[in-house]
Amino acid sequence: MIRRVLVAAGLWVFALSVVVPLLWVLVTAFKTGAEIFTSPWGVPHTLQWENFARAWQEAGIARYFMNSLLVTLATLAILLPIGAMAAYIFARYPFRGSKWLFGAFLGGMMFPLFLTIVPLFFLLARLQLLDTLHGLTLVYVAYSLPFTVFVLTGFFQTLPQEMLEAALIDGCGHARAFWKVMLPLAKPGIIVVGVFNAIGLWNEYPLALVIMTSDERRTLPLGIANLLMVEQYQSDWGALFAGLVIVMLPVLFVYWLFRDRIHETMVAGALKG
Amino acid sequence: MTPRARAVFITGFLLPATALYAVFVVMPVVQAFAFSLYRWRGISANRTFIGLENFRHLFADPIVWMALRHNLLLFLGTSVAILVLSLALAHAIGSDSRAARLLRSVYLFPQVISLVVVAILWMFILNPSFGILNAALKAVGLERWAIAWLGEKSTALASIGVAHVWHALGFYIMLFAAALRTIPPDVIEAATLDGATGLTRLRYVTLPMLWAVLRIALVYMAIGTMNIFSLVFLMTQGGPDRATEVMLTYLYEQAFKHSEFGYATALAVVNFVLVMALSGTILALFRHNPQEGKA
Repeated sequence: MIRRVLVAAGLWVFALSVVVPLLWVLVTAFKTGAEIFTSPWGVPHTLQWENFARAWQEAGIARYFMNSLLVTLATLAILLPIGAMAAYIFARYPFRGSKWLFGAFLGGMMFPLFLTIVPLFFLLARLQLLDTLHGLTLVYVAYSLPFTVFVLTGFFQTLPQEMLEAALIDGCGHARAFWKVMLPLAKPGIIVVGVFNAIGLWNEYPLALVIMTSDERRTLPLGIANLLMVEQYQSDWGALFAGLVIVMLPVLFVYWLFRDRIHETMVAGALKG
Repeated sequence: MTPRARAVFITGFLLPATALYAVFVVMPVVQAFAFSLYRWRGISANRTFIGLENFRHLFADPIVWMALRHNLLLFLGTSVAILVLSLALAHAIGSDSRAARLLRSVYLFPQVISLVVVAILWMFILNPSFGILNAALKAVGLERWAIAWLGEKSTALASIGVAHVWHALGFYIMLFAAALRTIPPDVIEAATLDGATGLTRLRYVTLPMLWAVLRIALVYMAIGTMNIFSLVFLMTQGGPDRATEVMLTYLYEQAFKHSEFGYATALAVVNFVLVMALSGTILALFRHNPQEGKA
C-alpha cells in the first residue's frame, strides 16, 4: 500500500516537473511585461495576443520561421530520395565492398559534430556556401545521411522479395522497379524517418550557429537565441516567450501525431550496437 | 541484368549520397586530424606545420583541464541521477494509473523540443528576479535560498546539470521501458513467488536482464556530457569566471572568437579521443554481466 502511494507520488512529481515548466512558458507568453515580473506564478489578467504579433513581426520570428521551414523541407526533399536509393542498394544489391561502405556511413553516427566543425567551416568558405541557406541545407543532408541510411536499409530488408521479382518479370528495369514498386512500399519507413529528421533539423543549433552569420538568414533556434540577447536591453520578455511557444508548438504537434512510430525508431536507432 | 548494367545501376543509386557524405563529412574528419598539427590563426591561408606543438600546449593549458573536469563532473553527476530516475520511472510508467497515462504522453516532450528552448526555459526558471524557482522558494519562506543560480560559481554547473537531466531523462526512460517490455512476465512472476521483491528483484532479476541496454545507455550518457555544448553556451557561455567552461565551449571560443583554428582542432581531436576512450572503458568495465553464469 505504502509502495503504491510512493510510486504514484513519484509519478506525479515527475509528470509535473515536465508539464509545469512548459505550461509556464505558454502562460507567460500571454502576460504583460509587468505581470511577468510581479507574479511569476500568476495567470495573465487579459491574454496578450500582441506578444505573438510583436514576436512575429518586430522581433523577426516570421523570417526565422520561413528560413527554418525552407531549410527543413529542402533538406528532406534531397535527403529522403538519395538516402532511400543508397539504403536500397545496401539492402538488396550487395557488391564487393558494400559492407565496408555501409560501415563508413554508420561511422558518421559516431563522430562528434565538433570534430569536423573547423574543417567544415573552411570547406564551406572555399565553396562560397558560408552563410547561405543552400549551404546549410547541403550540410544538413550530409549529416542526416548516416541515421537515414541506417534506418531505411533495415526497412528495405523487411520488404518481400516477390514484389520486386514480379515487377522485374513484368518488364520493369531495376531502377523503375525501385521508383514504382519498392519506394511506395517503403512509404511508412520513409515517413517516420522524414518526421524524425524534420524534428532534429527544426531544432538544430550548433551547425547553424557556425555556418549562418547574417540576421536575415538565421534559422529559428538561432533567431530565438539572438532574441534572448536583444531582449536583455529591450526587455520585451512577453515577445520572447511568445517566440519560444512558436518554436516549440510545431515540434510538439508533429511529435504527438507520430509518437509511437518515433519511439520505435529512436529505440531501434539507439540499440543498433 | 548483365554485370555491367548492374554496376551502372548500383553506382548511379549510391553516387549522390556517397558524394555528399564524402565531401561534407568524411573529408572534414580526415582534415581535422591534419589541421591539428598546424599553427593556424585567422582566416588567411598561412599555416605552419608544428607537429604536436598544439597538443603539448593543450596539455599545459589549465583551462583545458578545468573544462575536462567540468565535463567529467557533469557525466558523474547527471548519469547517477539519470540512471536512478529513469530506471524507477521506466518501471512506474508501465502501470495503469492516471499519472502513468499522463506521463506516457508527455515524458518525451523535453527531449523533442529544441535545446535552445530548454536552455532559455531554464534560464528563466532560475532567473533571480522573475524565475518560478525563486518565487516558490520565497513563498515557502526560504528567501536565503533564492539566489542567482547561474550567476554563482558554486551553483552554476549543477544548475546546468539539472537542465541537462530534465532534457535527457525521457530518452533513457524510453530505452529502459522498451527493454523492460522484453523481459517475459513469468520471469518476474517466478522471482516474486520466490520471495524476490523490491530492490532484491531489481538487483538479481531486472538489472541483469537489462545489462546490455544499461551498457549502451552509459555510453550515451558519456557521449552526451563529454559533448555538451548548446546548454552551456546559451545558459552561461562558460561563466561565471569559467566555472562552467566545458571542452566544446572552449573549442568554440578558440576557433570562432580568437581564430586559433589549429589549436581548436587539436582540442576537437583530444575531445574525440577522450570520448572514445571513455566509451571503451565503460564497455569493458561492464562487459561481464555479474549475474551470468553464477546460478
